[in-house]
Amino acid sequence: MDTVLEVDRVVTRFGSDVIHDGVSFAIKRGEVVALIGGSGTGKSVLLKEIIGLLRPTRGAVSLFGTDVWSASDAHLNELRGRFGMLFQDGALFSSLTVGENIAVPFREHSRVAEELICPLVGFKLSLVGLSEDTGRKTPAQLSGGMRKRVALARALALEPEILFLDEPTSGLDPISARAFDALLHTLSASLGLTVFMVTHDLDTLLSIVDRAIALSQGAVIADGTIEAVRQSDHPWIKEYFSTRPSTRDEREQ
Amino acid sequence: MTPSSQAERGAAATALPAASIDRAVEDGVPVYYLQGLWRLSHLPEAIAALRDAAPTQSPRCVLDGSRLEALDTAAAFVLLRRLAEVGYAAGGVTLRAMAERQTRLLALVNERMHAPAVKPSPRRLGPVARVGAATLRVAAHLRAHAAFIGAVAAEVLSLVRAPRHFRYREATSQFESAALDAIPIASLVTFLIGVVFAYLLGVQAQHYGATIFVVDGVGLAICRELAPILVAVIVAGRSGAAFTAQIGSMKVQEETDAIRTLGLSPVQVLVVPRLVALIFGLPLLVFVGDVAGIAGGILVGAWQLEISPVTFITRLHAVLPLSAVVVGLGKAPVFGVFIATIACRMGMSVARDARSVGEHTTSTVVQSIVWVIVLDAIFAVALQRLGI
Repeated sequence: MDTVLEVDRVVTRFGSDVIHDGVSFAIKRGEVVALIGGSGTGKSVLLKEIIGLLRPTRGAVSLFGTDVWSASDAHLNELRGRFGMLFQDGALFSSLTVGENIAVPFREHSRVAEELICPLVGFKLSLVGLSEDTGRKTPAQLSGGMRKRVALARALALEPEILFLDEPTSGLDPISARAFDALLHTLSASLGLTVFMVTHDLDTLLSIVDRAIALSQGAVIADGTIEAVRQSDHPWIKEYFSTRPSTRDEREQ
Repeated sequence: MTPSSQAERGAAATALPAASIDRAVEDGVPVYYLQGLWRLSHLPEAIAALRDAAPTQSPRCVLDGSRLEALDTAAAFVLLRRLAEVGYAAGGVTLRAMAERQTRLLALVNERMHAPAVKPSPRRLGPVARVGAATLRVAAHLRAHAAFIGAVAAEVLSLVRAPRHFRYREATSQFESAALDAIPIASLVTFLIGVVFAYLLGVQAQHYGATIFVVDGVGLAICRELAPILVAVIVAGRSGAAFTAQIGSMKVQEETDAIRTLGLSPVQVLVVPRLVALIFGLPLLVFVGDVAGIAGGILVGAWQLEISPVTFITRLHAVLPLSAVVVGLGKAPVFGVFIATIACRMGMSVARDARSVGEHTTSTVVQSIVWVIVLDAIFAVALQRLGI
């Protein structure tokens, strides 16, 4: 399996604050990877550096073997067609309807004929489990869970090879969050997607993630399968995994 | 192009399209060999290839994936949709030699593709329906505005009964930004209008050797009409827009809900201080505008019309009725009430999205300016009838 994403000794400083102090890891095609870590450990910052929105102070990020931060604009745009990004609150364009939001990437970056865009948008909506009426609504009329699904449909529009997710289940109730996990699992398995997500959600981690990378104090403190990471002696990891509330029966046993 | 000639071209393997279909019949069942890259980027070629997949008598067909290099959901959707169109039911399509991943993908697409297409939303309305809809919108707007004015009046009344709830600090800070900070721009604009007005009037009056009457004209026009209107338009654009944007973004951030949950009234906290700031601020700005406009007139008089500043002021003293100044200053608080209530109501009715703030801000400026001019016309007619 080939490497799709490589983060090589990334250092990030904001003024005198050191956010990352030499973070390195690589992700292979088809993996579902979660980046975990406490608040303020620079998970979202790292994600922005990977997708080319924020320049790291030092170090390199390469996607599909191309260095993101030394690629030309044209090359970077070409790379952007090969990954999809789901922002934390969806980041849907509020001036467009849901259907138009999903149609944006088709209109701008593909040669799809205008009369095929409508059926394709409808199909993408149903792919993420939404009905066709949703396409006519505006983003303001949607619930949080629906907004995330629409954003996922938009992120998947150009058939990306890798999908980046920033806290995909934050702000959702447990039922919607698990449904979203199931959707992600179905899509990643059926489409052969590589998924890289920043998450806090232990349930997501335990149910759909193959591998976890833990960040703390600017460095990777654990990297491996969930079981392997769980065995780590690092105090933050121990505390993190012990936050899972056990049911009363389990405690009584 | 017939499928067989396409197959020949395929055999030549020189100009093979990125996505194509090779059709054959094996054991009486049509077999479609998918070839090349069935991807979103090659969708037009895929569609062209599918156009040749003519309907057949057979209810069954075979999709062969042995020559398929890549398949994504968009191409799979187009493929399955076309097969359904030409009459193959989902159960009639057999997959052969497909990679496991592509089989899974086709299964997912097949399962999810039966949603009808999303139609473009806008329905074109006829002209009569449009006029009707616009009328209803305006009526709803006026009703909401009346209700808002009622709510504000009730709050003001309760503040009169319990003045200690009035937010002096907020009101003074709004007064500072809406009135004091607007003094330079208001005086500049009225000064320049005074210059222009005196100059144009002077050019006409010089023909008759009646330049001294420029003083009468400038004094009356600036104090009674121009300063109040110009100042109100500036304030509508400056403070009205700011009020809507401030309250609107608070609404988006749910701050107004937080105010309500803390047992406070958003009208009392946000609207009344702004209303008070404009009621007192506008007359001040109009007065500043009167002075600046007359100063513009004096400048033109001294330069162009040989009216010395002393003569100008003496003449002004004799001919400018106090009532003209009082009418001008008296209109200002009324304009202030309208601008503040329109701006605050538009801010409070912002929906929870970013675009709405911009739309409502624009609407505030337009409505305020229109209302200022409508009110000014009403004042002009009413005061004329009353003989003031």
